[in-house]
Amino acid sequence: MTPTRRTLFMGAAALAAARVLTPDRAYAAQAMAASADWALATADVEGDVAPRALTLVHGRAPAGLAGSLYRNGPAKFRRPGGASQHWFDGDGLIRRWRVEDGQATLAARFADTPKRRQEAEVGAMLMPGFGTIADPRARIGSADDASPANTSVHKVGGKLWALWEAGSPLAMDPETLATEAFVTLRPDLKNMPFLAHPRIEPDGRIWNLGVGGKQAMVWRLAADGTLEDAELVPLPRASYIHDFSATARHLVIVLQPWVHARNVMPMSAAFAWTPEAGTQVLVIEKADLTKRRIYDLPPFGFFHVGDAWEEADGTIRFDLCAHKDMDFAARGAHEVLNGVPLGHDPAELAMVVLEPNGRGRLERTGVVGEFPRSDPRRAGLARRFSLHTTGERADRPLASAVAVTDWRSGRTRSFDFGPGHVTDEMVYVPKPGSVHEADAWLVGPTINLKAGVSELHVLDLMHVEDGPVATWRADVALPAAFHGNWV
Amino acid sequence: MIRSLAIAAVLVFAAPAYAQSADNRLTLTFETGAETGAVLVALYDSEAAYEGGQPTRVAQVDVAAGQREAVFDLPAGTYGMKAVHDVNGNGKMDVNPFGMPSEPFAFSNNAVGNMGPAKWDRARFEVAGATAQTIRIR
Repeated sequence: MTPTRRTLFMGAAALAAARVLTPDRAYAAQAMAASADWALATADVEGDVAPRALTLVHGRAPAGLAGSLYRNGPAKFRRPGGASQHWFDGDGLIRRWRVEDGQATLAARFADTPKRRQEAEVGAMLMPGFGTIADPRARIGSADDASPANTSVHKVGGKLWALWEAGSPLAMDPETLATEAFVTLRPDLKNMPFLAHPRIEPDGRIWNLGVGGKQAMVWRLAADGTLEDAELVPLPRASYIHDFSATARHLVIVLQPWVHARNVMPMSAAFAWTPEAGTQVLVIEKADLTKRRIYDLPPFGFFHVGDAWEEADGTIRFDLCAHKDMDFAARGAHEVLNGVPLGHDPAELAMVVLEPNGRGRLERTGVVGEFPRSDPRRAGLARRFSLHTTGERADRPLASAVAVTDWRSGRTRSFDFGPGHVTDEMVYVPKPGSVHEADAWLVGPTINLKAGVSELHVLDLMHVEDGPVATWRADVALPAAFHGNWV
Repeated sequence: MIRSLAIAAVLVFAAPAYAQSADNRLTLTFETGAETGAVLVALYDSEAAYEGGQPTRVAQVDVAAGQREAVFDLPAGTYGMKAVHDVNGNGKMDVNPFGMPSEPFAFSNNAVGNMGPAKWDRARFEVAGATAQTIRIR
């Protein structure tokens, strides 16, 4: 699930200190430092958050900004009888940040899943997950029974779909945020997985994968969520796939060398890091899923990729947040949950270039980055900008800054909210009536650690380094979320 | 295992359940999520049979025709039940392309497994006198 972000943790100084301290002393020292700082990012929320007005504390509401930012992320990890062991395994809390008539409001409700109901009844976290093993008391008849529905949320047709990656979408009401039911796209495809990172074409058509070992279901849905096609494709290896990309004509599936190697639980323990295998990129034609090419790249790990595009000569490009390995997924996200980063390199923003002659390369930027987003109107088409978090460090596992990277100039501009904030992913919101890619806002929340509350920020894409043009403050702190969308 | 149960149920269901003793009558009422097809029921009288042997009784509940109950007259004892709702009436439990069941299934006691079929210790129940269970299969 999810995850993201990652990263982060390993500054040279912390590393050097860790080498001279005994491991347990270093661990304890870091635990104390960490828990004093960003523990709110993985704190438990005890119940739904009723709709409430936010207070404007900086700037003014931009004229014409109106809509809802729906976001999803885990917000309940611990119960008296047992806790989730991994950041990706907490219960999904769906948040709606709404801006309307210059005012902002916040509401949030937990996905009312079979998992959450069972666990509330027993008073313990029971379900297996990305990094959590099943409690013997768990009652699991299908993957959906274990779903935390905690990774992303999309508006599909008239519903919200809370997405995980190993089970079905969970339909919710966009106004009340009430949970309805798991979505079965066709009776014979009940209980098939559906990733939390569908690729949405500018006209609304939805492409997604459901991954099972060396096979993937390719889902194609109309904008209203009606299934248009579902076809199984073979994969050359059983990589961990959290996200994929697409051009207007291709699906682009990055196959990292973190490969399913053993049938054990939890899931994160079933994968092995095999850098000698390198990273592969599978490119499949949308119009004929049997037409495919495979590119070889040097080894790297990843969770997230940006929207891809194809140039006139057939070259495919997309941005990606490259990790040195997948140790964060395997170990780091356990530590994050307990406030104890032990040292993980943050992800680096990079551009993958796939040439028509069959050669591929990874162009690194030297910029720390995660949670890449871009203009949804240009999904699959040539574009200039990527939005992303930045500033993650070894001793700060979560971002405090947001950035805009301009692929034309190669320049990254950023704004750091400072050590007193944890930033979430921010999304691209076009200004009303605009057609230019640069005419947009970044919209997203941070946790104000000192005030102990969440905030919603709006930044101007072309002046991101100036900081927010508007900031609203809530009277409640919500933990870090993973992904969401502006509607 | 569920698939073999379904096939076994279909193969054998022609053999009518016969009265053993009307004093030990088991009535299973199925609450289905669909109004079509049939619920295939297999009843086992031991852990060994339940976990991989042959059912002692099978029945087919014709949901499409409005039936919801399976009735067995049995020797008193300990039993476990497995059922699948063959919603599309093709005589088997369908699975999705990754091999996971795509039609509803259920076990006695409304037991649910832990990443697999419910085990005997969750599904076992006593039949002594008139016994009834309502099984949610949806």
